[in-house]
Amino acid sequence: MTTRAAFLEDIRREMARTRGLFEASTSPRPAAPQEAAEVVRRQMLERWPQALERFREEFERVAGVFHRAPSLEAVPALIGEIARERQAKRILSWSPEALGVDLGARLGGEGFVVTSAHDVDPAEGERARHREEAAAAEIGVTGADWALGETGTLILVSGRGRPRSTSLLPATHVAVFGAPQLLESLEQVGIMLEALHADPSATMSGAVINFITGPSRTADIELTLTRGVHGPKDIHAVFVEAR
Amino acid sequence: MSESSLGTPFAARARGALKDVYLQEALGIATTKFIGLRRESFEDFPQGDALRDRARAIKEATLQQLDRHLERLADNIERLGGHVHWAATGAEARDIILRLCRDKGVRMAVKSKSMATEEIELNEALEHAGVKPVETDLGEYIIQLAHEKPSHIIAPAIHKTKGQVADLFSKELGGHFEADPEVLTKVARVELRQKFLEADLGITGANFAVAETGTVVLVTNEGNGRMVTSLPRIHVAVMGMEKVIPSMTDLMVFLAILARSATGQKLSSYTTLVRGPRQPGEMEGPEEFHLILMDNGRTRQIAGTLREALYCLRCGACLNVCPVYRQIGGHAYGHTYPGPIGILLTAMLKGDASVKELAHASSLCGACKDVCPVRIDIPRMLVELRERLDTEKIAPWTERLLFGMARQMMMRPSWFRLGASVARLAQKPFARNGRLRALPLFFGKWTATRDLPAVAEKTFSERWRELGRP
Repeated sequence: MTTRAAFLEDIRREMARTRGLFEASTSPRPAAPQEAAEVVRRQMLERWPQALERFREEFERVAGVFHRAPSLEAVPALIGEIARERQAKRILSWSPEALGVDLGARLGGEGFVVTSAHDVDPAEGERARHREEAAAAEIGVTGADWALGETGTLILVSGRGRPRSTSLLPATHVAVFGAPQLLESLEQVGIMLEALHADPSATMSGAVINFITGPSRTADIELTLTRGVHGPKDIHAVFVEAR
Repeated sequence: MSESSLGTPFAARARGALKDVYLQEALGIATTKFIGLRRESFEDFPQGDALRDRARAIKEATLQQLDRHLERLADNIERLGGHVHWAATGAEARDIILRLCRDKGVRMAVKSKSMATEEIELNEALEHAGVKPVETDLGEYIIQLAHEKPSHIIAPAIHKTKGQVADLFSKELGGHFEADPEVLTKVARVELRQKFLEADLGITGANFAVAETGTVVLVTNEGNGRMVTSLPRIHVAVMGMEKVIPSMTDLMVFLAILARSATGQKLSSYTTLVRGPRQPGEMEGPEEFHLILMDNGRTRQIAGTLREALYCLRCGACLNVCPVYRQIGGHAYGHTYPGPIGILLTAMLKGDASVKELAHASSLCGACKDVCPVRIDIPRMLVELRERLDTEKIAPWTERLLFGMARQMMMRPSWFRLGASVARLAQKPFARNGRLRALPLFFGKWTATRDLPAVAEKTFSERWRELGRP
């Protein structure tokens, strides 16, 4: 068994034998990530409309379906419509706190089975039950921590009340977001992620961040593009105008 | 690739590939399509060139402090409750996984696409130990059912037709399936969904690992990488140690160019950042997270001649543009990593002698270097590799003798003139219209596949003198 010390010792011995191929440095990181993130947020207060237009364009290019909702109030009805179009009954959702709206309260009475995550640590046995519900769900509804215009990407941070599989197991994924989530460039995403990780125990209750750019896809058989191979076949973004 | 396929010499494997009509067509279509998609995606991305320079600089700078970045990565993962293993060899990496399977009672493992696990031939080892490995990338799943090996880094099953896949699924999964990619993809979805939910262990590679945050990054299109890291109770990531990068800021530079180079997408469908095992508030995710950092021949290239190959992102762009790969495909190379970069990676993992034939499977046209997202100078390293094969006496003695003689001749103008005169006489019976189409003895190897221009009646210097120039 190779130990850490021995492994690194080998590397150091070889490193000492060369000065490298050329003089190079890694990317300069923001010295004060929280402040840098604040600067980005301020910039986007002005620029979000352009970022939204770009997001829509790129999201549709990767086969996403873009919607606008005038307010959070209007979101459940919109999701009900998406579900009815697909003759889907089972809806899985992030917690009302994480999503900003309680789908169960609004859609439960309309013949839908809505399962929402909640914001307390899961109890014994709850995880197994959640997995069964997630595997059976037809529509998964999540928020988005950021929506990136440059690539039409939704970025989701997992955690309490925000299960990873809500955007993965159901055949249809719907993500709900607003203007404060819009970003223009991957560079800005980098700044946000630096800020998020400056004190992760305070900012992250989960272990996973997913960048989602369109539906699950493959071209592994004769390069024929096919959607929905493992994850969702169908992806929707709902932009909430006022929140 | 298993050693058995290496029983035949490279030339014979390449000939086989050239005679395979379907493979020829599939390779042509696939590589041409990938080239077009890549070109388009960089065309409307003016910052692409500067980002490629940045990415290259980050890789070099990371190597210059590799020990520190690896320590930081390991410390962060351990702080998050993950386990870090250090594997000097592929065998050691395999043993770590097998021991884990034994200790934790693992019976089935789901895998997302990983060249690192191909490199260590993990599937064979798992099967041998009674653990069922299930490849979940559609292309990898197809070739696993067919008991074959990937033929392209990012499109492992491009050598198979939909008809072949339909027959394979019908036979292996029971049923009768139409030769329609849509139908076949659905079949695989249902089949593999069950496996994701049943498996005890998820095995992935890593496209990157961010040292500052302890994050392993997986880039996929199908979403299988997400399944594998969310559903089984244990997650093991296997990565070559050179995949470490310092920060999230650096990661964004690579993400901007990786998918563009591989498939022409701006980003792949899913980029998944995993930080250790499930946290207490989470509904799902593995209880245990293991990262295996693998050397397997990489360290000795830090100060070695193949250092630049340690920058490789495994995007596959150099395969698509390579005139040799485009003709013979991945299998003919006979090793895990095909294409121009594959020759160098094979030399890195298995030593120079393992590529004494493959080192010549390049026209040195430089197309690979032009498309490489981190601008790896593959042609330079191939030339140096060929030189080493000579100086280390790995190349056959006939070849060394011939080239040695040529060298002596070219260094002496009088010998060169004499040689040219002799050749001019000797070629008489074979030259037609300035070409030599068939030569006797071992010279015939050259003319078997291409013409050789005949030696001209007069040399350039002779004609120069006749013109009365100084």
